[in-house]
Amino acid sequence: MNNNAQTDSSTLSVAITGSGGSGVVTSGQILLRALANAGYYGLMGRSAGPQIRGGESAVMLRSGIEPVECLDDRFDILMSLDWLNVSRFAEEIPLTAESLIICDAAEGEIPEAIAGHGARVMELPLKELAKAVEGGRINMVALGVLGDLLGIPESVILEVIGTTLGRKGPEIVESSGQCISNGYAAEKNHRPANKLPPVETPPPRWDISGNEASGLGALRGGVRFVAAYPITPATEMLEWLAPNLEKVGGSLLQAEDELASINMIIGGSFGGVPSLTATSGPGLSLMMEGLGLAVTSETPIVVANVMRGGPSTGIPTKSEQSDLNISLYGFHGDAPHLVLAALNIRDCTFATEWAVRLAEQFQTVAIVLSDQSQGQARSVIDPPPAAPIGPGRRVAEPEIEDYSRYCITEDGISPMAIPGTQGGIYTADGLEHNEKGTPSSMPMDHQNQLDKRRDKLAGLDPGEHWAEIRGTGKACLITWGSSSGAAFEAGRRLEARGEPARVIAIRLLSPLPEKALKTLLEDAQRVLVVEQNHGGQLFHYLHSLDLLPETARVLAKPGPLPIRPGDILDKLS
Amino acid sequence: MHGTNPVSELKPKHYKSGIKPVWCPGCGDFSVLSAVTKALAYLALPQQNVAMISGIGCSSRLPAYISAYGFHGVHGRALAVASGLKAARPDLTVLVAGGDGDGFSIGGNHFLHACRRNMDLTYIVMDNEVYGMTKGQASPTTAPDWAESKLTPHGPGVPSFNPTSIALASGATFIARGFTGDPNGLTKLLVEAIQHPGFAFVQALSPCPTYRPEHKQWKKEVHGLEEGPTSDPGIAAQRLQADDGMSTGLFYQADVPVWQPENKVSCQSAALEKAFSV
Amino acid sequence: MNRVIDTLPEFLLHAIVLERESVERYEELADSMEIHNNPEIARLFRKLAGFGELHAQEIEQHAEGMELPQLPPWDFKWITPESPEAGDMDEVHYLMDRGTALEFAIHNETRGRDFYAHVAATSSSEEVRRLAAEFTEEENWHVDMLKAWIRNLADPDNLPPEDLDPPNVTE
Repeated sequence: MNNNAQTDSSTLSVAITGSGGSGVVTSGQILLRALANAGYYGLMGRSAGPQIRGGESAVMLRSGIEPVECLDDRFDILMSLDWLNVSRFAEEIPLTAESLIICDAAEGEIPEAIAGHGARVMELPLKELAKAVEGGRINMVALGVLGDLLGIPESVILEVIGTTLGRKGPEIVESSGQCISNGYAAEKNHRPANKLPPVETPPPRWDISGNEASGLGALRGGVRFVAAYPITPATEMLEWLAPNLEKVGGSLLQAEDELASINMIIGGSFGGVPSLTATSGPGLSLMMEGLGLAVTSETPIVVANVMRGGPSTGIPTKSEQSDLNISLYGFHGDAPHLVLAALNIRDCTFATEWAVRLAEQFQTVAIVLSDQSQGQARSVIDPPPAAPIGPGRRVAEPEIEDYSRYCITEDGISPMAIPGTQGGIYTADGLEHNEKGTPSSMPMDHQNQLDKRRDKLAGLDPGEHWAEIRGTGKACLITWGSSSGAAFEAGRRLEARGEPARVIAIRLLSPLPEKALKTLLEDAQRVLVVEQNHGGQLFHYLHSLDLLPETARVLAKPGPLPIRPGDILDKLS
Repeated sequence: MHGTNPVSELKPKHYKSGIKPVWCPGCGDFSVLSAVTKALAYLALPQQNVAMISGIGCSSRLPAYISAYGFHGVHGRALAVASGLKAARPDLTVLVAGGDGDGFSIGGNHFLHACRRNMDLTYIVMDNEVYGMTKGQASPTTAPDWAESKLTPHGPGVPSFNPTSIALASGATFIARGFTGDPNGLTKLLVEAIQHPGFAFVQALSPCPTYRPEHKQWKKEVHGLEEGPTSDPGIAAQRLQADDGMSTGLFYQADVPVWQPENKVSCQSAALEKAFSV
Repeated sequence: MNRVIDTLPEFLLHAIVLERESVERYEELADSMEIHNNPEIARLFRKLAGFGELHAQEIEQHAEGMELPQLPPWDFKWITPESPEAGDMDEVHYLMDRGTALEFAIHNETRGRDFYAHVAATSSSEEVRRLAAEFTEEENWHVDMLKAWIRNLADPDNLPPEDLDPPNVTE
């Protein structure tokens, strides 16, 4: 086990487990919202078995007075509604002797995988307290207990109940409220080691999931057409987009498969409407041919890929950052395109919006990566910033003289005629073509068009947005996507120890601003690349660009367990 | 059923792009090119408001030869590109062209779902019962005993695909068959297909002089339909099942709601963001 | 189906479309022969297109100032599946020689002549009959000319077109 594990005393981490159907997820969401209403930030991930219903379920929540970007090394509280099959979550919910297990003696003995940490145990008659209320639920009693232990005013939770359960009817609200009160009133002989300080004047914050945040980013970027095929863990993005696109004058088409969805959005974008699809690894694999078509025909499109354990069907419900390789290299032929990654839930909005803006500007493919740990997690965040708007798509003006769709221009971007434009008629082609768009196998045409499609991306000036860089120091952590939160926290802990480190979390993975990264790494003495996959995909990518010193090392840890700050510190020491 | 030609300066030749086709002389696809341009001229559709989408194959080269917006995509996905375009741009007249391999083999799933979705598209399949661009292999519509391809030296050995029956079963609302030896008859079918609100499927028997020289006989074998179109899918199913595959005309036309998003703005995206505020 | 043409404007419309489609088809064939590296036959088809163009202009002059009816392509009163001088597409081959190309052209012009002769025989309008007979004569002259060309071929090549290379795999 890692020796650098610690819990951050300014935050509190709570896990709630139980058999599926016992209301674990509902109570987690209500708790997160109540923490938000009480002025805190928070992050809540979820884990479930493979069953459609039932099985086992867990939520893992961390809250604090500052934005929370990753789960902690250890949990302060484990609230167990029952012990059925909980052992499968033991690795996901690490405990210490300082942790507090709350359970009902009526549910039997604590399994060894949980009890083995020697955590304190507080038994409470959850079932009895629920039974005392007509229609009472155990999860609501547990919610009351947790509300009390976390220092959330009871009135705040009751208000959240009123809004979230209101549609189920006044009886449910009433009985739930009664259960919560019973939970607050229950006599408790243990408390967590620390407590969240009260927040006097909380800033404006949002309660949002990563998939919702990505969907919003798409809308902000101007996406008005989405075609997609349902896939875990990306579906919630589509569920959010479907009704909301409709309101802003767009539409979502549920396609027959991913081959269709990628080609449908190519069609939508050819028609001048910024278009996106959302998928996960298996879907992305199916889309590859279409992505090459979009690159060659210079049709801007965005693929939001919410990663899960791979390869093949892999682990659909759990997170992994193992789609970097396919995103960078999956295309056949030389196919320059954009790859971005969201660094956290808040960044899902920014990164997706930016991906749309860049795809439109450069008339190419943008793949924007997030993963299950972001997409299906919820977070209380500062409202996300807007991405740089950029110049938008360069379109051909009507009645243009002797129009050439793929004409060679100084910056490699050619005006795109949108159907309906007089004088702009052309046929887009996935066959190599000349400047007019006519299929050509002539060496010069191939050379010129390859050069054009590569060189246009050289005009991308990402400014400071290509990465989020925090701290300075001789040690350097390089990471991407959802591992960023743990890397930032590891950096903070190193600094607190007097070993300052620089953390570089890369948002724009391709084209990578190589010079900027090289400069940052000039005087680095210890470089560690951190990513949640088995093969060290970013590590090898950076090596292939000759950006890493020979001494650079990699922490490549596959899913489904998240990379925790302590894992990184372990690897460094 | 159609009125007179709207008075228009647009002649069929105005719908030709001027790019010289790569098709073999004698290919039936020339007649489809001619029929499409005549149909567009008859309907007096402004070139810039028409888009023709295709996949890969001899016949999929058609968009480049037509003076309209075109998209020549990858093999089998023309209907998907077209559906996306139409969903996003309902104001355009969207035509889809391709061959039997592109549409019924690699693109088979999209064919089923495009029929079922019943978007306002016109799908022209130039059926020559062979893969022309890869040296003459059997396609889904090739007869089981056609043994001229090295890939299937004993013939494909499986019954051929029945596109019109499958279109009907999948929900297409306009099903017709034309013959390239009768380009004016094909023009009429295309005009009706384009005017039809919903998914219109036109199978165009289009001989391949290079790999299927025996298709020269088709002009002796095709025959007009004995009955007019029906709107009853049960009757249509019986007729299509009993059909010899060589009858030409409109089999079936039904009035069924078209799938098309409205794309109407009722709210600005900034307003949606309020829902996330704590 | 009624195939009788009774008015002059309707007849002239048919004649113009006949000639125009013939020109377009010869042009298309010439293009196709160029694409397939048969420049000799391309030149021949281009020449035939030129003749057709002159004839088309001549008829268009006849029709000047006259309001022609609008007729959808499928309502023309041809006695062939297509306009008669557009030729049977399945009779061409990219390796065709001058002999076969001329045979093809003769077949076309004969069908054109037959169409005009049919009108000359069936129309109720005397003016149409007279003009149709005139055009029949002109087409006859074309046919005779083409026949003379065939006879004058220095080296009539009677071998059927044969491709000594396998077809290309293009996509």
